[in-house]
Amino acid sequence: MTASAPDTFPKLLLEHARLRPDRPANREKDYGIWQSWTWAEVAAEVEALAGGLSAMGFRRGDKLAIIGDNRPRLYWAIAATQALGGVPVPIYQDSIADEMAFVLDHAEVRFAVAEDQEQADKLLAIKERCPLLETVIFSDPRGMRHYDQLFLHGYASVQERGREFAHDDRGFFAREIAKGRGSDIAIILYTSGTTGRPKGVVLTFDNIISTGQNALVFEGLTNREEVLAYLPMAWIGEHIFSYAQAYCAGFCASCPESGATVMSDLRELGPSYFFAPPRIFENILTQVMIRMEDAGWVKRKLFHYFLGVAKRVGLPILDRQRVPFADRVLYWLGNGLVYGPLKNTLGLSRVRVAYTAGEAIGPDLFTFYRSLGINLKQLYGMTESSVFLCIQKDGEVKPDTVGRPIKDVEIRVAQDGEVLFKSPGAFQGYYRNSEATAETKQSDGWVHTGDSGFFDGDGQLKIIDRAKDVGRLERGSLFAPKYIENKLKFFAWIKEAIVFGDGRPFVAAFLNIDLEAVGDWAERRNLAYASYQELAAQTAVYDLLQGCVERVNRDLAAEPAVATSQIRRFLILHKELDADDGELTRTRKVRRRIIAARYQPLVDALYSDQPAGRIETEITFEDGRKGRLRAELGIRDVPTSLPMVEPVAFKKAS
Amino acid sequence: MDLLAAVFLAPIANMASNPEFVLEVVIGGLLAGVMYSLVALGFVLIYKASGVFNFAQGTMVLFAALTFVGLIERGVPIWGAFVIAAAVMVLLAVVVERLMLRPLVNQEQIILFMGTIGLAFFLDGFGQLVWGADVHPLDIGIPKAPLIIGGVLVNEFDLVAAAVAASLVAALALFFQRTPIGRALRAVADDHQAAQSVGIPLRSIWVIVWSVAGVVGLVAGIMWGSNLGVQFSISLVALKALPVLMLGGFTSVPGAIVGGLIVGVGEKLAEVFWGSAFGGAIEDWFAYALALVFLLFRPQGLFGERIIERV
Amino acid sequence: MKRIGEPILTVDAISLAFGGITALSGISLEIRRHEILAMIGPNGAGKTSMLNVINGFYYPQAGTITWKGETRRHMRPYQAAAQGIARTFQNVALFKGMTTLDNIMTGRLLLMRRNFLWQAIHFGPARQEELAHRTNVERIIDFLEIQAIRKIPVGRLPYGLQKRVELGRALAMEPELLLLDEPMAGMNVEEKEDMCRFILDINEEFGTTIALIEHDMGVVMDISDRVAVLDYGRKIADGPPAEVRISPEVIAAYLGQQADPHPPGDGMGGG
Repeated sequence: MTASAPDTFPKLLLEHARLRPDRPANREKDYGIWQSWTWAEVAAEVEALAGGLSAMGFRRGDKLAIIGDNRPRLYWAIAATQALGGVPVPIYQDSIADEMAFVLDHAEVRFAVAEDQEQADKLLAIKERCPLLETVIFSDPRGMRHYDQLFLHGYASVQERGREFAHDDRGFFAREIAKGRGSDIAIILYTSGTTGRPKGVVLTFDNIISTGQNALVFEGLTNREEVLAYLPMAWIGEHIFSYAQAYCAGFCASCPESGATVMSDLRELGPSYFFAPPRIFENILTQVMIRMEDAGWVKRKLFHYFLGVAKRVGLPILDRQRVPFADRVLYWLGNGLVYGPLKNTLGLSRVRVAYTAGEAIGPDLFTFYRSLGINLKQLYGMTESSVFLCIQKDGEVKPDTVGRPIKDVEIRVAQDGEVLFKSPGAFQGYYRNSEATAETKQSDGWVHTGDSGFFDGDGQLKIIDRAKDVGRLERGSLFAPKYIENKLKFFAWIKEAIVFGDGRPFVAAFLNIDLEAVGDWAERRNLAYASYQELAAQTAVYDLLQGCVERVNRDLAAEPAVATSQIRRFLILHKELDADDGELTRTRKVRRRIIAARYQPLVDALYSDQPAGRIETEITFEDGRKGRLRAELGIRDVPTSLPMVEPVAFKKAS
Repeated sequence: MDLLAAVFLAPIANMASNPEFVLEVVIGGLLAGVMYSLVALGFVLIYKASGVFNFAQGTMVLFAALTFVGLIERGVPIWGAFVIAAAVMVLLAVVVERLMLRPLVNQEQIILFMGTIGLAFFLDGFGQLVWGADVHPLDIGIPKAPLIIGGVLVNEFDLVAAAVAASLVAALALFFQRTPIGRALRAVADDHQAAQSVGIPLRSIWVIVWSVAGVVGLVAGIMWGSNLGVQFSISLVALKALPVLMLGGFTSVPGAIVGGLIVGVGEKLAEVFWGSAFGGAIEDWFAYALALVFLLFRPQGLFGERIIERV
Repeated sequence: MKRIGEPILTVDAISLAFGGITALSGISLEIRRHEILAMIGPNGAGKTSMLNVINGFYYPQAGTITWKGETRRHMRPYQAAAQGIARTFQNVALFKGMTTLDNIMTGRLLLMRRNFLWQAIHFGPARQEELAHRTNVERIIDFLEIQAIRKIPVGRLPYGLQKRVELGRALAMEPELLLLDEPMAGMNVEEKEDMCRFILDINEEFGTTIALIEHDMGVVMDISDRVAVLDYGRKIADGPPAEVRISPEVIAAYLGQQADPHPPGDGMGGG
């Protein structure tokens, strides 16, 4: 090894094994106990696997696919592959056989490591279609006893072979690692594109290590961090948090016992560095709220009282601002009685840095966690950028931005609103897809993100929508439907929202009420209703939603880039949008075009001066029968707010 | 008007004017409650493990105390007497299992209940036959001097009794939660058939719980007897355990303990501050009144398993 | 492939009656080492009674039971459990107030070396032993993939999971013969598939002999080595699934009960 800093993960592994051999590198909960492996042990495990692979004919440049839940053995397979100069290709463990076959074939994979029988079976099923795939290694032998295919090998037996191999050639492992260069390909990650076939993002060691390192420095993270490796291994975020940064800093990554035990494993482990997409934070909050509803009234009263305190003073305290002494005492008391125990049961009591990203997070949800004293922040990045482009700095956290560009990253917003970046983490290209590479990465190094956004008054980036969904109002100003819809959907009353405006004179919206939330609200006001349709048509409900829309308009008015996108007219749909009717995808994303076509008369009514719209639709009942639904829906005109001339001044005043 | 004032105003004013005295009464009540708890505990143990409501629990306390005091009167040292009396209670458990539970297994609960009534009469008669029907004073050397702690008058004997009871409860809790046999006991309490299918011998379990209940009864009897002498009225303590069970729930060990304390404190307060309003002797029926009120609002008791029928 | 061996349990001419009602009349049956035997038959045919006789809940009025070479008039529950017969129940008999872990631990009680009283008074060595048993139980939890419910009182679990915990408790006894009374009743398709896989894995990996009662014919045909058909307390057929399926007596029995023109194949025996 040279005197310079290690520039590949295997080199980092050797360094940690030398500097901190007895510190834990991986943990896994198995048989109810946390088993752990030190850096020295991990180095030995990786060496044994690498030796075995080499003995089985693995050569530099070969690809090795990894399929399974987060397991230390699978992470070691990544390191072993990289040590031999090969390229690991993690595959989503819930891929169906077809998708798997495409990736294996496209990446020219020769070796695969499968977690268990389930994954091995999938590989066996598609082996015929992937002639290049030669060897399948399985980690968990359960149920594999009667498999007699010669290309199937147990993980332990491969390692055994590796140890014999090392016995004959002691310097092999170190020699192979020394051959690696930072500019070598570290990994290929296939992104599950929403359209077309997945694309293989090629990243080098330099890409990942420089970006990961910059983010570590930015947050002041050390080798004492604890992370829970629980998101799919094939996802770049997981790879960065639980492998790349763990190897850069030398901290420990722990694997949960199973997908179903993540919450309790999280509680036991108490990570200090944590990532979760918004929906997970939402699920956790829902669970807490449900449990509080079942608790005794004393507990419930205390809980809600102190949550109120947190809401009032939690954020300023977290951001180290001046807070009256009495409030500080109250918050301290609340921490002892409510926040502390709550964070403890959630497993978030030791969190120093928590991130969320991927989609917009509701401001209430976001501030809930922050007010408890959890340093939850947003970041912006993607597979093509080795994750980190922007991170929110401590003390500058806002619910609707993603922060400023980190060190060495340049961001610019193109004329059409698309965000472009330049970064040391920028990917090399899409594997065997030069066409797509050329479309995304310009020859001068700028990479298209496909996202539309702008910088706010404080210089923080704000992402508003996918660029292709962004349109223009009739007079040419920006129209970002998802941005507005998300703002609407953050209200508990609103379940779905579809806004129109592309090529139109103004923005108008269809809303779906949340039957549970609005139903509950109506019951408490003694409003009678027999069905969704009846509830949705109530004047009081229209009033309720008008309040929401007006608040969204006020928000929009405060942002010059979208101030013209205020909602002028809206109606509440008489039925819930339904995947069975093709209005939503199975993952509950709205199908804008289908809805627009289907409810054309209503769209027309929105852009007329009529006070109501008529519609007749076909619906599918729960038992599969079809029926027709006729309705006349009221349309509300909403006052818009004046665009703020000086948004910065506005912020200071508030 | 006078009655209302006597019930609602005078006692409160009385209590407010003399907080130290209230505290003394409460502490006295707690210490008496500990005794109720012990007896109720015996009920709960047997009820949980064999589904039998043991009417003879009170008599078992008396019988155990009589045996103990009888042995001492015949010159056996205290510890020897305790060990022998405990052994007698274990023997009794074996006999009960042999002669009563085994033949009556799988019978209606009411039949088993009748069986325990029979057992109560038998033990009562047998105990008096062997040890005589007189009041036996019992002194095992616990000092009875009154103490002043922080300005509050406490009986030293009561303190010792409470400490003994508390350690017994702690030991039992450990036994139930932390040992395999405790797990087996809980299993039997939950589902007889399933317990048998994993090879838990029901009969041994019955012997064990009846033995434990007997030893708990012995301790209760010794404490009670040292205070008031060993006499027939001890068996009536069982009648106090009944409201305790209604309060605490028939299946809950913590319920038996807390229920005992509540009854103890409640009846002492009632007697001292409301006694005159009702013409005295409130102590005898207060616990039942309390339990009845409780039954109206929470039939499963404070800690009893919530009655949920699942389909 | 697994080898089906000599009979491990033989019941000979067993008759059982409650009051005037005959549950079993002169049934003889063999269960062979390492096999999966399915007992089928219309409701009231005496299948559960048969299991209860085998594990000692019922004492038959006539006939003998031979378990591992020893012939008896009847078994006792304790004896059956101690000698390697474990079972589950049609309607799940778990210790509802105890956690999954504690429930499965009860399956280890008989395997604990030290006797009851010793454990009651001594903590040291018993602790050590408890740990060893805990390890064993953890393997079962892992095997049945119920890690997530380890610390949850079983009364709060959905039915399908309760059945799995009950299987775990039986497995913890390290039985030689496992009696399963309708292991898949009330389960959805996915849960049934899981349960089938567990039963086959237990049979293959531990070599456990399994006798099960099941109504789902698809399942029976898929997983059993042999099928015994009971009707009105008598055995009317006994053989490999494929043969039993086409036996005229079996078809007649089911036809007689349900007046269903379809041959046994799907959904017979319900009701």
